[in-house]
Amino acid sequence: MIKVTELTKSYGTKQVLKNINLTFSEGNVYGIVGENGAGKTTLFRCIAGLEDYQGEVKSKLEPLKNHLGLLLTEPFFFAKITGKEYIQLLCSARKIKTDNIESRNIFDLPLNQYASTYSTGMKKKLAITAILLQNNKYFILDEPFNGVDIQSNIIITEIIHKLKELKKIVIISSHIFSTLSVTCDEIHLIKNGEFIKPVKREDFSKLEAEMKEITIANKLEKLELI
Amino acid sequence: MKEYFILQYKMTNRKLKDFGLEPIMGYLLILACFIGLSIYLFHKTEFAQYVYIPISLVLTSKLSEIGRNDFLKLCFSDKYYKLVRVVENFAASFPFLIFLLYKQTLIGSVILVAVSLLLGLSSFKTSLNFTIPTPFYKKPFEFTVGFRNTFFIFLIAYILTFIAISVDNFNLGIFSLLLIFIVVIGFYPKLENEYFVWSFALTAKQFIVEKIKTALFYTTILCLPIVLTLCFFYYTNIVLILAFYFIGCVFLITIIFAKYAAYPNEMNIAEGIIISISVAFPPFLFVFAPYFYTKALKKLERFLI
Repeated sequence: MIKVTELTKSYGTKQVLKNINLTFSEGNVYGIVGENGAGKTTLFRCIAGLEDYQGEVKSKLEPLKNHLGLLLTEPFFFAKITGKEYIQLLCSARKIKTDNIESRNIFDLPLNQYASTYSTGMKKKLAITAILLQNNKYFILDEPFNGVDIQSNIIITEIIHKLKELKKIVIISSHIFSTLSVTCDEIHLIKNGEFIKPVKREDFSKLEAEMKEITIANKLEKLELI
Repeated sequence: MKEYFILQYKMTNRKLKDFGLEPIMGYLLILACFIGLSIYLFHKTEFAQYVYIPISLVLTSKLSEIGRNDFLKLCFSDKYYKLVRVVENFAASFPFLIFLLYKQTLIGSVILVAVSLLLGLSSFKTSLNFTIPTPFYKKPFEFTVGFRNTFFIFLIAYILTFIAISVDNFNLGIFSLLLIFIVVIGFYPKLENEYFVWSFALTAKQFIVEKIKTALFYTTILCLPIVLTLCFFYYTNIVLILAFYFIGCVFLITIIFAKYAAYPNEMNIAEGIIISISVAFPPFLFVFAPYFYTKALKKLERFLI
């Protein structure tokens, strides 16, 4: 379990996360949705311990960071490090032996090439492979489907289902609603740093319709397209 | 075109300010270091120009990187693009040219100008597409990446050791050993993305000990051929050779401590000054290293529990 209590984060005088209270349970997949700048990535960084914050983040396995696979929106890669070495680095950081990297390369990545030469989608797939090989108990996936080809999106969806089956906790953010609706048990809506409401699977279609209505409103008319 | 160079000037000033230096002081410091190192190199060996010219050309060739040149081609017409590149390359090799002329190495000066101008009319990938094999793949990343970027300097160092033995120049041999340390130390000041520090399931102390162990082990591998060769041919100077090796290691450890003492920022002027004092008076290393170590632990505890 991961329990977030009264989490508040400010940059100077600007509060970007306000009194967040959340509980994530084993064997569940959680979606976090919100507009750009709503505070999703900041929340993830706070849970991971990459940011200072007020409040508390507790987990069954402590320290949480040592059991957390964190996929950043734009994973960072050193200029002259191969895909295989990147995986080795992340696994050795968690003291995990990596004898069979090639056989576990399910995205068929060219592991002996420099990671910096990979396309955007390949980089994301490499980062996903690395955190999966770390044998983490918790996963935060910030935009896992972004920039990835359709075939790999199918694989990522299946991986998330498998993680759920293995009783892991998975937290995902995505701007593509359909990817969340097929993977998540619960979706949390975040707006201006505040959690509006949790939505259960049975109400996903209602949520999507609501979001569409609020988001689009009369914006298209304003464009005055002819 | 004028705006482009003004922008380059502004960007350089910003980098110096980020480092904690007033731009004018930064330029003076760079100039002083350049002159000092050039004099030192030419004083130490008669083969200095064979090292000096390649260093200048390697630095200049960085401007020929294909992505950068694609951007310039998009910005400027063909005529102005070539002009920008030629001016840039000439400016980059100019300090080296002046020093070569001062040393009256005319042929070297002509070669430097000709090659750097030719480089200005070409663009290529400074980072090759094929993977350079490295003996340091087991413990990424500093040595893995660093070796791929600088492997040719290690070759130069070993060649210098060979020349030192051939012409019986002990100082040149020691220079080749120090060259290894200079290059290896250069692997560390680069800012490390916080994600990679955060990833480690280690305490701050364990993390830094691991970094030191890897650095010393791999540095020793690189230094060993030079140290053994020098010890064999100059066995009367064994203590001196080992002293240089030992000081190099202490210096390397201090740099690693200093890097994490400034983390997650890059090392700034304060660390720079302390390190410069240590270069001038190595005994100070034994004072500054513990200071940096304590500070590094505090900074790393933010990411490592």
